[in-house]
Amino acid sequence: MRAQLAFSLAAASLWYRRRVLGLVCLTLTLSVTLLLGIQYFRTEVKHSFTSTISDTDLIIGARSGQLNLLLYTVFHMGDATNNIRWSTFQELRKDARIDWLIPISLGDSYRGFRVVGTDDAFLEHFRFGQGQPLELADGRWFDKVFDVVLGAGVAREQGHGVGDSIVLSHGGGRTSFSNHDDTPFRVTGVLANTGTPVDRAVYISLAGIEAMHVGWESGVAIPGRTLTPEQAEGRDFTPDAITAAFAGLKRKLLTFRVQRELNQYAGEPLSAILPGVALSELWRLMSQFERALLGITGFVVVTSLIGLIAVLLTLQAQRTHEISILRATGASPGLIAALYLIECVALALVACLLAVALGAVAVSALSPWLQEAYGLQTRLRPLNTVEWSLLGAVPLAALLVALLPAASAWRKSRALGLGDSGEE
Amino acid sequence: MTPTTESAPHRAPGPAPAIETTGLSHCWDSEHSPITFPDLTLPAGEHLFLHGPSGSGKSTFLSLLSGMLSPSTGGIGILGTPIHQLNAGDRDRFRADHIGVIFQQFNLVPYLSAEANVTLPCRLSASRRDATDPDPTREAHRLLTALAIPKDCWPRSVTRLSIGQQQRIAAARALIGGPEIILADEPTSALDSDNRDRFLDLLLTLAEERNTSVLFVSHDRSLAQHFTHQVRLTEPEL
Repeated sequence: MRAQLAFSLAAASLWYRRRVLGLVCLTLTLSVTLLLGIQYFRTEVKHSFTSTISDTDLIIGARSGQLNLLLYTVFHMGDATNNIRWSTFQELRKDARIDWLIPISLGDSYRGFRVVGTDDAFLEHFRFGQGQPLELADGRWFDKVFDVVLGAGVAREQGHGVGDSIVLSHGGGRTSFSNHDDTPFRVTGVLANTGTPVDRAVYISLAGIEAMHVGWESGVAIPGRTLTPEQAEGRDFTPDAITAAFAGLKRKLLTFRVQRELNQYAGEPLSAILPGVALSELWRLMSQFERALLGITGFVVVTSLIGLIAVLLTLQAQRTHEISILRATGASPGLIAALYLIECVALALVACLLAVALGAVAVSALSPWLQEAYGLQTRLRPLNTVEWSLLGAVPLAALLVALLPAASAWRKSRALGLGDSGEE
Repeated sequence: MTPTTESAPHRAPGPAPAIETTGLSHCWDSEHSPITFPDLTLPAGEHLFLHGPSGSGKSTFLSLLSGMLSPSTGGIGILGTPIHQLNAGDRDRFRADHIGVIFQQFNLVPYLSAEANVTLPCRLSASRRDATDPDPTREAHRLLTALAIPKDCWPRSVTRLSIGQQQRIAAARALIGGPEIILADEPTSALDSDNRDRFLDLLLTLAEERNTSVLFVSHDRSLAQHFTHQVRLTEPEL
């Protein structure tokens, strides 16, 4: 009976003070949304991150650190330290343990997007997410020297479609002054959206890379020595070198042995890395920052809880008459203290509920934009254990901080005389 | 404090008196000298007018009788129970079961409706809830009707009611569930004279019906005529 009375009194009291408490509840809601949102996106980003490459057993490049190799081959960030000789790539092709190889040749760009020189193996063997293959949303994969296939993001942002003619730039960067003006490429296909860095690159053949660099041996185009598309027909454009290669093995058990052998390759210094291992190392680095962010948000929540308590303590001054009536009617100091605890926890619970609702709305509203702007795939999903425990910690923390006004109310109401409002 | 007994009630044989105090004193802190109170016996069902100027310790006396404070010396018997020997929790329960209280003003919980304010004691005391006939809500309606509170005010918030209405609702709260004693601390001092007489009439009539003792405290001596027993508290001599 007492508990029921305490809950119904607390509910009536909260409703009575809904204007001022609504504001502190809003503050708390926003901070919990922030906390929950950061944790949510952390998980989503990690998911999106680890989905960038799948089923590739080894990434092979010139000798360098595994993070560097991963960053420039998969994420298109940074530059290669060196190349792999074409002959070495041919040697690898002969290795019976290797099932397939995707050559990757980097170095040019299109309006800030990387140009990736590769071959049919890319479309055939590259996998992302949980082993999903690449698909063409429109058109077909390149087969001529000056054909180009666009990632979904490039096509969307630049408004290109099949049949458009585009001019690639020499070197990286968003604005390049040296363009391969003489060798325009024709868009033959657009890849379907993947939510990975694949969307943010354009794909041409290895021969295309060679062809557009004829006459560029000195780093700039020498007039008269570059090719026209007509001249390029029928010529052989075997490259001297490529930047890296993705490899799939016939037997996964051999991965470490092949990796070790490649790292000790006699022909030239190579590095072979396991994409999964490199991804988790990269994630470890990034999660430091994210954990700091989460910590800061935690403090924001604590700050709003303290604000809530400050308001409750201020309201206490206005509640002396009511407390004195309850006491005179026979309510114990414990009941008075319980009112404060219940009210504070109830506010925290309301804030949590609102935060979940607000978060769901925000995720639904933001996910198309995140996909567009950052190629980040976020989905609306049920909360995981970590998020539930974060959410559960909020009312628990509210209960803890509410002990302060509750104890003060308990102490004051014990010392109260009859009809005494506690004001001297 | 010098008590001046004008027509102090005498101890009656039979049932335990509603209130009985002996050698009562209370000391707020060591800097002040203790306040002493007259020995007092109020037979069950009878009313007492306690008159005294402000500062004469009336509120302290009521706090002691209601068990909100513990006396420094002396004993308090309420309905035969020595409440000065009870612990704080038992005194709260005893108050909830047996004592109704009306203050000078701010009598009502602002976030409860008139009706919920009246039934509040029944939610704190099982014995008062069981004593209602047939249930707290219907007894509350009967009391509110008897105290002339318009029906449309019952479910509404109490903050917009007139002071006279608020005081009558407080009287209904004190009366519900038929507690043996009502302690009324200057309940009419915020009312005009018409309202005051009406309030006193209603309170005493309804208390008689329920055989409830009323201890009425006021500085207004003109009200004394309504009571058979009167006690006067005077300011302590310096």
